[in-house]
Amino acid sequence: MAIRHRSVTVALPAPARPARWPSVRTRESLGGIGLLAPTVLILVGLVLYPFFYAIWLAFSDKTVGSPGQFVGLRNFIYVLGWPQFSTAVVNTVVFTVSAVAIKFVLGMAVALVLNQQIRARNVFRAFLLLPWAMPAFVVYLVWRWLYDPLSGLINYALIDLGLITNPIAFLSDRNTAMLSVIIAHVWRNFPFYAISFLAGMQTISQELYDAAQVDGASRVQQFRHVTLPGLYHIIGVVVLLTTIWTANAFEPVYLLTGGGPSDATMVYTMLVYVMGMMNLRLGEAAAVSTLFLPLLIGLVLAVTVLLQRKANA
Amino acid sequence: MARPAKRHTRREFLKTSAALAAGATATLSFAAPAVAQRPKLVYWCYQFLKSSDDARANFAQEWAKKNNVDLQISMVPLKEFLPKITAAIEAKATPDIIETNAVELRARGQLLDVTDVYKKLEKTYGGWVGNAPKIMLEPDGRVHHIMFGFQGFMLMTRDDLVRAAGLTPPPATWVDLLAYAKKAQKPPRVFGLGIPVSNQTDSQVWEDMMKSYGARLADDKGRRIVLGDHKKEVWEFLDFFTEVWKAGVLPPGVTTWDNTMNNSTFQSGKAVFILNPITLSLWLEENNPELLAKTGHYTYPRGPKGLIQPVTFGSRAIMKYTKVPDLAKQFLWDSMEPGKMDREHSVSQWGPVLKAYLGFDVWKKKPFMKGLIDLSVRGEPQGWPDVFNDAWREQFTNTTISRMLQRIVVDSWSRDKAFVETLDVLNRIYSKYA
Repeated sequence: MAIRHRSVTVALPAPARPARWPSVRTRESLGGIGLLAPTVLILVGLVLYPFFYAIWLAFSDKTVGSPGQFVGLRNFIYVLGWPQFSTAVVNTVVFTVSAVAIKFVLGMAVALVLNQQIRARNVFRAFLLLPWAMPAFVVYLVWRWLYDPLSGLINYALIDLGLITNPIAFLSDRNTAMLSVIIAHVWRNFPFYAISFLAGMQTISQELYDAAQVDGASRVQQFRHVTLPGLYHIIGVVVLLTTIWTANAFEPVYLLTGGGPSDATMVYTMLVYVMGMMNLRLGEAAAVSTLFLPLLIGLVLAVTVLLQRKANA
Repeated sequence: MARPAKRHTRREFLKTSAALAAGATATLSFAAPAVAQRPKLVYWCYQFLKSSDDARANFAQEWAKKNNVDLQISMVPLKEFLPKITAAIEAKATPDIIETNAVELRARGQLLDVTDVYKKLEKTYGGWVGNAPKIMLEPDGRVHHIMFGFQGFMLMTRDDLVRAAGLTPPPATWVDLLAYAKKAQKPPRVFGLGIPVSNQTDSQVWEDMMKSYGARLADDKGRRIVLGDHKKEVWEFLDFFTEVWKAGVLPPGVTTWDNTMNNSTFQSGKAVFILNPITLSLWLEENNPELLAKTGHYTYPRGPKGLIQPVTFGSRAIMKYTKVPDLAKQFLWDSMEPGKMDREHSVSQWGPVLKAYLGFDVWKKKPFMKGLIDLSVRGEPQGWPDVFNDAWREQFTNTTISRMLQRIVVDSWSRDKAFVETLDVLNRIYSKYA
């Protein structure tokens, strides 16, 4: 027996929305705030709070374990009168500008070579990253050994080749210490430049080079009028980032010279370490960092403006 | 017959998850009291000489097992201690027990009063050796750290090279030391004096030398700089130092040496004399007994105004934030037991701090330990004749005297200019604590 169902149309009432349910617009706003909240929390907790806390420290007599009292400009006056501070300012600028310039030139040169169709190009590219991938601690201890006047490889080689008779104390002579630190730092960090530039070069259309070649442009002219303009944005980002990283570099000086000889390589990060971690005077250390802030911002602005002008030219 | 897969709704899934989470939480809350029955103790153990570190860490493990304590040991090298403890204090995540560098933290009120442990040890084990009480007792009679060993720099000599040069070790004065070094060295393979003149604290041995010429930094209260009143003595010392530099007895590179370079230079046979603790001798005993047999261990040479040879020390302290103060004190007490200390001293660089330890066989078995006993019994606290306080410590970590020497030899500054800068730096540091 077949059962026949009758279809019945029933007008059901629309489900009643609770009166407190917010409007679509409000719900969207709340949803947006909810999605943004983790980012804001991270930004406030990990960036803004430490930043402003460090500035507050600079105005306090905070030492390890003490809450610290507001002391106005006392730390700044003390630090500005401290003999190593002016040395640290000069050394930080010299170290940063020289290292960034050398890394730029070296990185660009290597990127240009690796952008050519040469044999085993991929192997070279892989090896290029090695110094950058190695832990800084290992790299700088190896360089320390290389420079060592008593058992270092460089001195052995120079003596064996008859180029020198007495070992050179690369890290302990005022004339060579900073240069030696810069060389070690450049060796470790130029691959970042090279790889970044190489990546940028590969996005430049071959047609532009072909057209330039048809117009009779030389290799140098191609580099100047095709490659460089095509890389401006990458150069901007790389130089900007590495200027900040280089100015804040601590390991090369700490591991190679400890700021010596006679403060010849004393950079501001080392001074902050000595004041904060060795002398336990966090307020003074924070004052050094705060005083360097305008310098760092100035360096970054100078790099940005320079590159922006080039890009717009 | 295949059963049709049951489809779960989202609501069911959420319900099940919530039920499971609630169940797990409930189970854990029942288990928690059982875990909490084992008290937890965090111990930062000083890391330097492996055999000594192992001895102390092994004892701690056995002690924890015996006392049913959940012990966490971290080995912390001296160089990393201050940055680590600074971060720990600021993060309010401190260990319960720490080793070394207690003095800096004591001055900042970070340590628990352990005067009771100090007095009990003194009474039970026949009293403290040498200047240990002077180092531990504060002016108000309280104690915040318990020393477990003396340490200190002594003159280590390649006796074979000295004798081959027709000389008899040890040199009696600093001037003799220079004369010996000049005669016994064979540069560029072997240099006379493996002493750093850098920004590392080992370079501050030059401060001890300067004081043996009669100079001192501050007054008896450790508040006012008086080095300016000792210009004559400082000049005499600087003359001596300049002579050392010009004689070429210091290896190239000493102006950037770190605290390990004097050790490695001696270990590789490239220095006739170094100033170092016996950690090096213990390393040689294990790794190069031939070189140890050729090495002599002596007290410092004397200056025109006498002998200045300070002792440093290793000590344990309890951080004031500990939740288990009694347990931590028990650990401090048990770790000083003579039987345990006898075993530990035989593989350690530490000299005896309690009189009950003076009879241990290790002092007779190893000839190089004799110097350590002398140092423990007669050595003055670090900084002496200056007062060891925060100001002195800051100028020490700032390597102020070594920087003065670097100004002269690296920057070719005149003595006057370097001296004026040093006085200025010392005044700036001491005025903060006055």
